[in-house]
Amino acid sequence: MSIKVENLCHVYRKGLPEESKALDEVSFDVSDNQILGVIGHTGSGKSTLLQHLNGLLKADSGEISIDGMRLYAPEVSMLDIRKKVGLVFQYPEYQLFEETVAKDIAFGPKNLGLTEEEIDSRVREAMSLVNLDYDTFSEKSPFDLSGGQKRRVAIAGVLAMKPKILILDEPTAGLDPKTHKDILNMVVDIHRKEKNITVFVSHNMNDIANISDNIIVMDKGKCVLQGKPEEVFSHSDFIKSIGLDLPDVTQLMKDLGIEREDGKAIFSLDEAENMIFNMIGGSK
Amino acid sequence: MIRDITLGQYYNVESLIHRLDPRVKMAWTFMYIIGLFIINDFIGFVFAGICLALVIYMSKVPVKFMVRGLKPIFFIIVITFILNMLMIGGEVLVKWWIFSITKEGLKQASIMAIRLIMLIIGSSILTLTTKPINLTDGIEKALSPFKRFGFPAHEIAMMTTIALRFIPTLLEETDKIMKAQQARGADFESGNILRRAKQLIPILVPLFIGAFRIANDMAMAMEARCYRGGDHRTKMHSMQYEKRDFVAYGLIVVFLAAIILLRIYF
Ligand SMILES: Nc1ncnc2c1ncn2[C@@H]1O[C@H](COP(=O)(O)OP(=O)(O)OP(=O)(O)O)[C@@H](O)[C@H]1O
Ligand SMILES: [Mg+2]
Repeated sequence: MSIKVENLCHVYRKGLPEESKALDEVSFDVSDNQILGVIGHTGSGKSTLLQHLNGLLKADSGEISIDGMRLYAPEVSMLDIRKKVGLVFQYPEYQLFEETVAKDIAFGPKNLGLTEEEIDSRVREAMSLVNLDYDTFSEKSPFDLSGGQKRRVAIAGVLAMKPKILILDEPTAGLDPKTHKDILNMVVDIHRKEKNITVFVSHNMNDIANISDNIIVMDKGKCVLQGKPEEVFSHSDFIKSIGLDLPDVTQLMKDLGIEREDGKAIFSLDEAENMIFNMIGGSK
Repeated sequence: MIRDITLGQYYNVESLIHRLDPRVKMAWTFMYIIGLFIINDFIGFVFAGICLALVIYMSKVPVKFMVRGLKPIFFIIVITFILNMLMIGGEVLVKWWIFSITKEGLKQASIMAIRLIMLIIGSSILTLTTKPINLTDGIEKALSPFKRFGFPAHEIAMMTTIALRFIPTLLEETDKIMKAQQARGADFESGNILRRAKQLIPILVPLFIGAFRIANDMAMAMEARCYRGGDHRTKMHSMQYEKRDFVAYGLIVVFLAAIILLRIYF
């Protein structure tokens, strides 16, 4: 599995006075079994970018290939793309509509034309991946659940399609700290179990730094920086100049004046602890 | 996609037409529509067309925008044209099976089609050049004399404002929900009528729930800011007629007079 994006451009409301260039020559690659973190200020084009990856929006120019399959080739059907690329929207709980949780999760697999048994087993599997007990929740109405539970159901609805690429647009937005952590751990767990590519947007720099293999930084529709977290966050002044922030640990180490020899950013708590202990000559 | 619907859309540029008082523009639209129904000959349409072209030119809104509004009703125009053409008796031009096209029918059908097209384009100028908020302010002001008889002018204006304000919000919401369901493999474009109607459920249920949520939030926000109806409310921008507005009113009279004269003498 791989994603290759080349020179992607998208203009909203073309021809109107308020036309806006939401994506401007964006290029990046994601290789197999990686987590890609996407960060950027509000309105920088993150959601627009994600919607291109499963063909919901069509670029004005540029190319996207998923696993060598060119998205804009005439012979490619949308269902093929949606089968491979699952997209969980920002606030996905607002898309629930069925009478029961199980039926709602089954909506995607049904659209794929699977058999009843296959659908049932996928619903069970997806619910266990998002830590919802099948017996307790499957017959409940999705509208009677708490916000965090609704979000799990919505994510399960996409997981049940078994996408090889899972895209999550701010999956932790507006959740309490515990649910936030749960959802984040769940995303990493699913990634490990399913060995998928995970693309994920968040405004929380700590989460991004800790779980991503690679990061792309968006600003005003352009992809202005990409690389491993320790590289991206070593450009601290630039990151701040585009309205973003450093992970807490990185900021702390910077304030303390402790640096790695290679100049890269420090964001893992363990590494920071060790370096501080080294410096003051103590241990845990 | 669904967001391309231009109904009631405002086109944001600076122009003389944009600056006119909304009441003048409403009066113009109203009289223009009446005028279109007085006209029953091509010469009248040529005159009205020239006036319309002038106004469009002054409004600085691109013509393709006006034409875009015609797309959804293109079908209705075609049907009207065909029906009129076939229904009216007179001097037969072409005859085929039970259908016959007459000279009078052709003329009447063309007049009907031109009238519809000019009606849509003309009235779209009002919304293209007036912000919804000003439009409803205008409605409120125009209706306020009737308040004396217990007519709820402010409430009607407020309801209209909210309804207009919600069009884009609901379209946006619909767009988002459609995309979310498409991401789960839903297909809204193919299948027979029954299948398509069923495919609407995944859109309509979240949309209605969302609409009630938004309405509830909005009512809450209004209450939190002590909204209590129209009495004793003052406006930040009170509407005041300027010289150009009186000139525009004068031109309405000239326009209508010219149309009536054309109808009588030609
Ligand atoms: N449907 C649309 N029509 C017109 N403009 C849009 C539309 N969707 C987004 N935009 C504009 O495109 C730009 C990028 O929006 P996008 O939603 O991709 O930002 P984002 O990075 O996801 O922001 P956030 O962090 O707030 O979710 C914004 O300037 C926005 O106003
Ligand atoms: Mg977004």
